[in-house]
Amino acid sequence: MAKYIFKRLGTSLLTLLIILTVVFVLVRQMPIEGYFDNFDKLDQAVIDARLNQLGLKDPILVQLKDFFVGLLHGDLGNSARYSVGVPITAIIANKAPLSITLGVISMAISLILGIPLGAAMAKSKSGFWDKFGTVFIVFISAVPSAVYYIYIQSFGSSLLGFPMLFNRDDWRTWILPIFSMSLGNIAYYAMWLRRYMVDEMNKDYVRLARAKGVKGSEITMRHVFRNSFVPMIQYIPTSLLYTVSGSIYIESLYSVPGMGGLLVDVITRQDNPMVQALVMIYSSIGIIGMILGDLLMVVIDPRISLARKESSR
Amino acid sequence: MSNIILSVEGLNVKFSLRGKVLHAIRDVSLDLYEGETLAIVGESGSGKSVLTKTFMGLLDTNGWIESGRILYQGKDLAQYQTEKEWLTIRGREIAMVLQDPMTSLNPLKTVGAQIEEALRLHRGLRGREAKAKVAELLTDVGIGDPERRMRQYPHEFSGGMRQRVIIAIALACNPKILICDEPTTALDVTIQAQIIRLIYDLVHKYRITAIYITHDLGVVANVADRVAVMYAGDIVEIGTCREVFYEPCHPYTWALLSSLPQLGVKGEELFTIKGTPPNLFHQVVGDAFAPRNPQALEADYIERPPFFEVSPTHKARTWLLDERAPRITPPKALERLKKVGKP
Ligand SMILES: Nc1ncnc2c1ncn2[C@@H]1O[C@H](COP(=O)(O)OP(=O)(O)OP(=O)(O)O)[C@@H](O)[C@H]1O
Ligand SMILES: [Mg+2]
Repeated sequence: MAKYIFKRLGTSLLTLLIILTVVFVLVRQMPIEGYFDNFDKLDQAVIDARLNQLGLKDPILVQLKDFFVGLLHGDLGNSARYSVGVPITAIIANKAPLSITLGVISMAISLILGIPLGAAMAKSKSGFWDKFGTVFIVFISAVPSAVYYIYIQSFGSSLLGFPMLFNRDDWRTWILPIFSMSLGNIAYYAMWLRRYMVDEMNKDYVRLARAKGVKGSEITMRHVFRNSFVPMIQYIPTSLLYTVSGSIYIESLYSVPGMGGLLVDVITRQDNPMVQALVMIYSSIGIIGMILGDLLMVVIDPRISLARKESSR
Repeated sequence: MSNIILSVEGLNVKFSLRGKVLHAIRDVSLDLYEGETLAIVGESGSGKSVLTKTFMGLLDTNGWIESGRILYQGKDLAQYQTEKEWLTIRGREIAMVLQDPMTSLNPLKTVGAQIEEALRLHRGLRGREAKAKVAELLTDVGIGDPERRMRQYPHEFSGGMRQRVIIAIALACNPKILICDEPTTALDVTIQAQIIRLIYDLVHKYRITAIYITHDLGVVANVADRVAVMYAGDIVEIGTCREVFYEPCHPYTWALLSSLPQLGVKGEELFTIKGTPPNLFHQVVGDAFAPRNPQALEADYIERPPFFEVSPTHKARTWLLDERAPRITPPKALERLKKVGKP
């Protein structure tokens, strides 16, 4: 088992290094204006001096080495235009907590609502909950999220009288953004859980459990639900990481000063060091989520850890 | 003969499938005697599984009992509707060993936990007591080192070992009747013999009445006291092993026996039954086997034959046993069965 985990971690680390390198190289291709907040007014000598100082005139391999060394010391460089000269880590540390708080709350709500909905759908097979859930899921996946986000905002403010914009100190303003963020995940969890549960319900071991006299409700809880949660577990870390890293659209819709809007901001403002740092963070999140998902699976599914060993007789 | 433990009277089972109705069990009557092992043989689709599933309320949701009675301990199981009623039967009175051991265990629970679940439900055992009983059962079914094995997961067991675990689960329920639905079909031949032997031993050790479903006539004589031959949802012949093998009366039984590999002659093609079983979506008239029987009588196409009694223990549904019928004798090849001995 330990061997499997190390192997898995090794390959993921390698993937991560490759991605970071690719992003790094791509960012080098961007116009150098992105390293200055007042490029037009500078003369060539000043520009060259600054590029030299930033190490951008060095051979690419040296730059790459410097970058990774910086990374190991927790240094992502400084912002060039967005917030001139401020370390990027400081900017993120300032913005991230709000996104993470919103994300964790939304994640909790999604699990608390999505999982019972999925289970009820699987149990009621073409009964009320199944129909209700299916309509909900189809709606959420068919209608572009931007459309219902806007409806939620306008209905929420006109009918329920909630303020349009987010304000950290007014709890009522948290409701609409969190609600909007959660809808997609609720539908997503309900859909997958329903599907996995229906799969499990038709398996032979459920038949055997029935034949040995286990109550239907107990079969659902002890056998079916538990087993269908295993494939779900794999996706939850990824989904959690994406949720806490902030929703670009919702954060800009409600003017939430979080991480989500940051990437768009720095791209429009052409802040090269920050674009590089944020793209790297977002692409790492996908990989880290996958690793965590796999590791969780290993922990809870006895078949995986031992899959390689020949089964004993 | 001993007491009747379960009695089926005029049972009809139907399924609805895409708006059409399939008549899977057609007016079957059957008495099961306490302590006996009854084998049910017949081609795939003849209704062996469906018949026994009705005893436990395990029909698929698109199936129902149209009419008939299933009498067990003074109650008519055919009337049972609710899960609550069936929970008084499933496991504790009648238990089942299913065909596919590879998929019949929950992959995420230890083998011990799955046996314990039955012990908790039917014997009220928990904790250390239950563990001790699990170890005892595992030893009973021939699994060594039970203390370690009970903490393992199904994937750590081979197919034959998993079937042993499933048998242990059935025994844990402490049933009066054990239904084994083709328990060895999914296993390889050497393991098959071991499992058959194991079931035979345990059924006798615990004095359990058993129903052994198989389409392999070869194993029947090794395990069963009596044999019921099913064809197209009906029992066409029933008797002791000896009677059915050495004095078969129904042309379908003849055909089934003729196709035994033991009767094959080197260099000759093995006998196979021509044609296909009737489509159970349509009403079957007369003797269901007639269209595949080259020597079928006129009467076979008109009216369903009644059960003719050959001996107090031997009955067959064929017009050949009617006094007006012409004398048609079983194929010569079947003579050899007696010489081969046990099929
Ligand atoms: N859920 C169902 N819906 C429709 N038809 C069914 C269903 N279950 C069984 N049948 C039909 O009932 C008949 C009897 O099936 P059954 O499974 O009892 O056969 P069997 O004798 O056990 O065959 P096998 O040796 O293949 O297990 C078959 O024609 C089958 O197609
Ligand atoms: Mg069957």
